Amino acid sequence: MGQSMQWLERAPEGVRLPVTTPLDEVETAARDAGVLILEFDAFRDGRGFSLAAVLRERGYRGRLIADGRVIPDQARHLRRSGFDGVVLGAGADVNAWRRMDAAFSATYQPVEDRAAPIWRRRELARKPEAIVDRLNRETRGGDAEDILRAALDPALGLKPAVLSSFGAEAAVLLSLVARIDPSTPVVFLDTGMHFLQTLAYRKALSERLGLTDVRLVTPDAGERADLDPRDDLWRADPDACCDLRKVRPLERALAGIDAVITGRKEHQTPDRLGLRPFELFEGRIRVNPLHDWSEERLQAWFDAEDLPRHPLTAQGYRSIGCWPCTEAVEVGEDARLGRWSGAAKTECGIHLGRRALAVG
Amino acid sequence: MYRYDEFDTAVVRERIEEFRDQVSRRVSGGLTEDEFKPLRLMNGVYLQLHAYMLRVAVPYGTMNSRQLRRLAHIARVYDKGYGHFTTRTNIQYNWPALSDVPAILEELAEVEMHAIQTSGNCIRNVTTDVFAGCADDEIEDPRPWCEILRQWSTIHPEFSFLPRKFKIAVIAAPKDRAAMRTHDVGLQLIRGEDGEAAFRVFVGGGQGRIPHIAQEIAPAVPGRDLLAYLTAILRAWNLLGRRDNIHKARIKILVASLGIDAFREEVDRHFATLRREDLRVPDDEVARIRAYFAPPAFADLPRTSGAFDRASLADPDFARFARNNVRRHRQPGYATVIVSLKPVGGVPGDITAAQMDLVADLAERFSFDEVRASYEQNLVLPHVRLDDTPEIWRRLAEAGLATPNADLVTDIIACPGLDYCSLANARSIPVAQALSERLADLDYQERLGPIRVNMSGCINACGHHHVGHIGVLGVDRKGEEYYQITVGGSADETAALGEIVGRSLAADEVAPAVGRALDRYLEVRRDGETFLDAVRRLGADPFRDAIYGAVDAVA
Amino acid sequence: MKIVTANRLSDGRVIYAGPSGEPVEALDRAGRFDGEAADAALSRAARDPAIFVNPYLVEVDGDRPSGRDRFKELIRSRGPTVGHSLGHP
Repeated sequence: MGQSMQWLERAPEGVRLPVTTPLDEVETAARDAGVLILEFDAFRDGRGFSLAAVLRERGYRGRLIADGRVIPDQARHLRRSGFDGVVLGAGADVNAWRRMDAAFSATYQPVEDRAAPIWRRRELARKPEAIVDRLNRETRGGDAEDILRAALDPALGLKPAVLSSFGAEAAVLLSLVARIDPSTPVVFLDTGMHFLQTLAYRKALSERLGLTDVRLVTPDAGERADLDPRDDLWRADPDACCDLRKVRPLERALAGIDAVITGRKEHQTPDRLGLRPFELFEGRIRVNPLHDWSEERLQAWFDAEDLPRHPLTAQGYRSIGCWPCTEAVEVGEDARLGRWSGAAKTECGIHLGRRALAVG
Repeated sequence: MYRYDEFDTAVVRERIEEFRDQVSRRVSGGLTEDEFKPLRLMNGVYLQLHAYMLRVAVPYGTMNSRQLRRLAHIARVYDKGYGHFTTRTNIQYNWPALSDVPAILEELAEVEMHAIQTSGNCIRNVTTDVFAGCADDEIEDPRPWCEILRQWSTIHPEFSFLPRKFKIAVIAAPKDRAAMRTHDVGLQLIRGEDGEAAFRVFVGGGQGRIPHIAQEIAPAVPGRDLLAYLTAILRAWNLLGRRDNIHKARIKILVASLGIDAFREEVDRHFATLRREDLRVPDDEVARIRAYFAPPAFADLPRTSGAFDRASLADPDFARFARNNVRRHRQPGYATVIVSLKPVGGVPGDITAAQMDLVADLAERFSFDEVRASYEQNLVLPHVRLDDTPEIWRRLAEAGLATPNADLVTDIIACPGLDYCSLANARSIPVAQALSERLADLDYQERLGPIRVNMSGCINACGHHHVGHIGVLGVDRKGEEYYQITVGGSADETAALGEIVGRSLAADEVAPAVGRALDRYLEVRRDGETFLDAVRRLGADPFRDAIYGAVDAVA
Repeated sequence: MKIVTANRLSDGRVIYAGPSGEPVEALDRAGRFDGEAADAALSRAARDPAIFVNPYLVEVDGDRPSGRDRFKELIRSRGPTVGHSLGHP
């Protein structure tokens, strides 16, 4: 269930039903379906939107494709009701579909594509500091689990996501999250430049912890073709490479997310000193449950929970990002010295915000 | 009243761009007329007999002077200098060009107005009691909830391609002044057990070919669950409503065919599994919206007004106006003034640009800059000082807006009929004019007391003839205009459908026939009972005889 | 005899198909067609949706509409019979 629609030339293989099919039958058919295609025989027949909304609410996680007579002006309705793709006819005007899909910057209604509705965005826009202060107050003296429970409390009404690199220490935060709600979205920036070991570790750890909504976020194919066709931008301009492969994809992935849970810790960099559990960043609440955990505590947690470690830690890697910009460090050296070593860069930029990056 | 924030403004402006794109694709052939039609309807653009008609939303009937002046400006610049207020408290323009509509919408957006979803198979303008915030029998002002419903229903991704239109009305008192029971969903605001706002929910009302009075589906839905419950109702109907026949598609048909109990079960099933907490408007947001509807800064005035009393004694015309068009207000020393858009021989609900400007001036000066549109197709100045009513009356009279006939027999509710509407069988305006000319005598009208005459030019019943005390329906007999008369309907909390009195009559027979029925009423009434009470007590027969006795005698 | 009528896309005004299929505003300048020619004229108008919106055929007797909807078509040709737009051009 993604946040952008796929414009398909033809329907994929899957279970195909007309929108006139009674809801019970559609639900039954969807139970084991990985791909469900709902066919509109008339674009005015709005049953398809309710069928989609009900399926998503009741837990259908497969692909939901619209086919038949639909018009570009329904792109948004389809996406927000829970469809993730639509079959365009031959000679369809894809640009009209794209334009109509993007016609509105916000929605009044809570919708299936997880965009925050306007009244929630208002709350955040109006008094985000108050929410953040309250949460910091309420969790003072509490621990990582208290902080996470506060952030993940449905009553709070936040749409949270964990941001994880599946690196050296990621398992700690992820195991804490999995204890509370393993269906919490976990965003992994699949930069295309990861160690193979990271990709394997991600898969194994997700399965071990029972995480059900790990989202692999890739750079935009068009941008990549324009800016880094030979995958070597990191040599000349690591900032631009981070921007293409991490910062911009992250912005897209966080559409509709209003709280980002990170594994950031005070001790990691000078800038992170004084890190609070809850803070405001670019219109979103940022949650740092491990803000005051020491290196020792992290390691103890690994042992106590018997968590698998990232394979590269055995080779001396203590902070793990993309392969071109990650090196092992000597014992006793600062863990992040291996990142962008030889350069002044200490952050990839995803936690710095756009303005910071522009300044350089 | 509510003021847009940056999100509301963005929605309205982005809607204009979307519509511009759609118009351009229609002109270039990217969209067929069949595809374009529902899209333009959802922007209030009808294609009528002679021209496009643009229906601009007046959310829950409330406007300020700046908005009313803008409506006047649009009438002047893009139309023929007038507009028409409807039974759903919107305003219609009969002559805009399609190519002008985006510019009109931009001018509307500048004053926080729009034409979104005033037509089409979607959720329409939410209407309410025109006396909201003034009446002393209301639990609380219903309009914050109307605004919440407006936002929730605007450009709803799941409910923009419904089987048919969907109309919601909200009242906040046991007395129903918004014809709530004639709506697809009617909401009555009550006090819940926990002291918080709750709603008695009605479903399945509607006019049209097969009229129904709404039935209660839930006695007390807490305010925080209102949107979820409405979502469940709409979802149930969206999935089960008929789409094979437009005359069988409204929710009233579904409720009637399943029965209210089975329909309720269907709704409850959806309510149980939808994400209720997602549809709970945060308390802060409710409070924020409520604050916009706080009572204005009333002055501390005595209950009676010397100026008002003196004017009433000195001028019998003012006294008559005061009797009929000046209504009691909950705040001592204040009143609500009804500005009648039903002058004798006029077009019911029509108003010129100059008249709109005048009412805007009066609203700004005398009514805390607020003016309302009513279900009866009149305008209302909600909060005026009794002291100021004589001057307000004088200024209204200069503009032809002081007809003292509010709720009297010439306060006719009428649709535009065959003069404008491509759906109509017969004209309604000339019949309304003939009736109002015949019954113009105000002494006679006051003797008759409150009587509601509703006229529809066709079975779509936009004039609400089914619930008129006297209803007149235009029918088509072999290409000629004929009219059917009903008596005994009611749109208030005693809602009922009128009874047909007999065969249809020719256009020139209608006004005399109604006249005879009214004379008969005066003969048979007891103890000052109203016309409606008399029909309920005696049945339709005495009035049937009065109408047809004379007709048949002549024939 | 039949005429072809529609609303004009740009401003919604009543138009008719002239003898050569061009849009005209006055009923008395509408092309009059019989039988198959009427269907052909209708198809021609329908192929021009950028001008003719929802064209259809109307029966006429000389200059006056004559079928079931004659009264409606008369009002369409002459304008509203009452009110602020009385007999619009």
